[in-house]
Amino acid sequence: MKIIRCFPYVTKQITRHRVRSLLTVFGIAIAMFLFTSVQAMNDGVLEATTATASDTTLVVYREDRYCPATSQLPQDYQRRIEGIDGVSSVTPMMVVVSNCRTSLDVVTFRGVPKESFLSGAGKGIEVISGSAEDWLSRTDAALLGETLANRRGLKPGMRFDAAGITATVAGIVRSDNPQDQNVAYTALEFVQLAGRDRLGIVTQFNVKVTDSALLDPVADEIDEMFRTAQEPTATFGEKAFIGRLADDIIELVGFARWLGLGCLAAVLALVANSIVLGVQSRIAEHAVLQTLGYKSWVIAVLIIAEGVLLCAIGGLLGAVVALSVARSGNYALSVEGTSIPIVADYGLLLMGLVVCVVIGVIAGLVPAWQASRRSIVECFRAV
Amino acid sequence: MNFITCRDLTREYKKGDTIIKPLDGVDLDITSGDFLALMGPSGSGKTTLLNLVAGIDSPTNGSLVIDGTDLSKLSRNKLAAWRSKHVGYVFQLYNLVPVLTAYENVELPLLLHDLSKKQRHERIQIALERVGISDRAEHFPRQLSGGQEQRVAIARAIATDPDIIVADEPTGDLDKSSAHAVMQLLQTLNSELGKTIVMVTHDPKTTEYATRTLHLEKGKLVEAEAVA
Repeated sequence: MKIIRCFPYVTKQITRHRVRSLLTVFGIAIAMFLFTSVQAMNDGVLEATTATASDTTLVVYREDRYCPATSQLPQDYQRRIEGIDGVSSVTPMMVVVSNCRTSLDVVTFRGVPKESFLSGAGKGIEVISGSAEDWLSRTDAALLGETLANRRGLKPGMRFDAAGITATVAGIVRSDNPQDQNVAYTALEFVQLAGRDRLGIVTQFNVKVTDSALLDPVADEIDEMFRTAQEPTATFGEKAFIGRLADDIIELVGFARWLGLGCLAAVLALVANSIVLGVQSRIAEHAVLQTLGYKSWVIAVLIIAEGVLLCAIGGLLGAVVALSVARSGNYALSVEGTSIPIVADYGLLLMGLVVCVVIGVIAGLVPAWQASRRSIVECFRAV
Repeated sequence: MNFITCRDLTREYKKGDTIIKPLDGVDLDITSGDFLALMGPSGSGKTTLLNLVAGIDSPTNGSLVIDGTDLSKLSRNKLAAWRSKHVGYVFQLYNLVPVLTAYENVELPLLLHDLSKKQRHERIQIALERVGISDRAEHFPRQLSGGQEQRVAIARAIATDPDIIVADEPTGDLDKSSAHAVMQLLQTLNSELGKTIVMVTHDPKTTEYATRTLHLEKGKLVEAEAVA
């Protein structure tokens, strides 16, 4: 593989044209930071709203209501829902949020029946610090999702205020469900009594069914059951429910994807411009290489490799910074008590790198082909 | 025995509707170990003939056989491979790669050969010492004088131990003393290493170093003169 021996020529072209390379890499890094950030938001939307075959949770909400402050259902609906065939558990929830609007830092309290929660709706939750026993024994205790705890710097034993509620952190929890990562679980009565007397009223019911195939029939049966009640219900699969409440965010993130694609186009234009200028300023140099015996395709590969390397360095830099910012900030887009996490994992880093490499190849193709097809004599005449 | 044989060697270019013929049916024989100087006015076809011999251009008509290989029949890639083995090119303006040191410039043609790093290092050292510039190995071209740059260019041309060295006005951009030194160097490569050298020049003084001088005019050889 003689061409491998020629790659130091590529790295020297980059490191010894320092200003050009730094400007190009910096531009790529900025664009890839934006692209990766948008992609992280998009991944969060997908994770929070895409239904899977293993989903077995329904959310029962007040019909024609879109925020937790106005969805009020009698808590005794629980007993009637539990009587429906295929229902394995029903968890009444009172949801109180610190901010009804879309925000990156919303504290959402979910009041749940403590005694049955961890073995029912909260079965997938893992307590990673503090203790579930503390939570069960204290009235004002809260189990905080890891994202919320990290964002607010809260640890077990600390007290915090939000949405007019003062609670004590009993533990930090982790869950595969993004909704659990950004909430504070407390006792149902504690939230119902906080600020105003709403005993017997809940925001929603989270209903577990025995089989995902039963989601639609059970949802229909619940809504039919309360059709003529004073507080009729609207029942959705959990992911569809989140999609319904967070449709503004989803629309914005959908638009932001175009910005992300624009960033990729900017990277392509930037790298292509850099390579074209580099190739034009090195016409004689490439002719010299060909005179020395470098074959046309070797010249082409060296030019493309330069584009790929610039893209990979810039892309990696941008993606790493985006990943670090997203992770250190523990951001989640919240609206109406639902949470869309910003998902920044190493898969995203890898994707950013792969996208950059592909862009580097595309950006280098035309100038590489042109440079490799030029007649040596014509090149020397042109300079 | 002829090392380079040109028969009816012709090169035409199209410029719009006009056909330009810088080289028109040249017959030429060069024996191995010759130091041939090509002279003639601008546009006489000297550089065109040099480029054909170097394998960086292809004839429109006629044949060019070098050491048994008919260059006119080689594809672009095969011609490149042939050049890397058989030809060292010395340019008037040195044409060193500016971002590479003298050492790295000399290494460039060696990267195409099956040589270990150590073998490449040895060859580079030998080439740089032969042209008397080993103390400037780590210098970039911008840190060298014109004469020193041309020495590096010659080192690059001889690093692969080619049979033929082609030089296009190698002293054209040098002062008198540097030009003398470069010509002495080429003469040494010819006399001591037996390299066949084909050189284009405008300067009659440089022909004194050659063993043979030919004149071209309007694409044809007009005079041949052997120098003792």
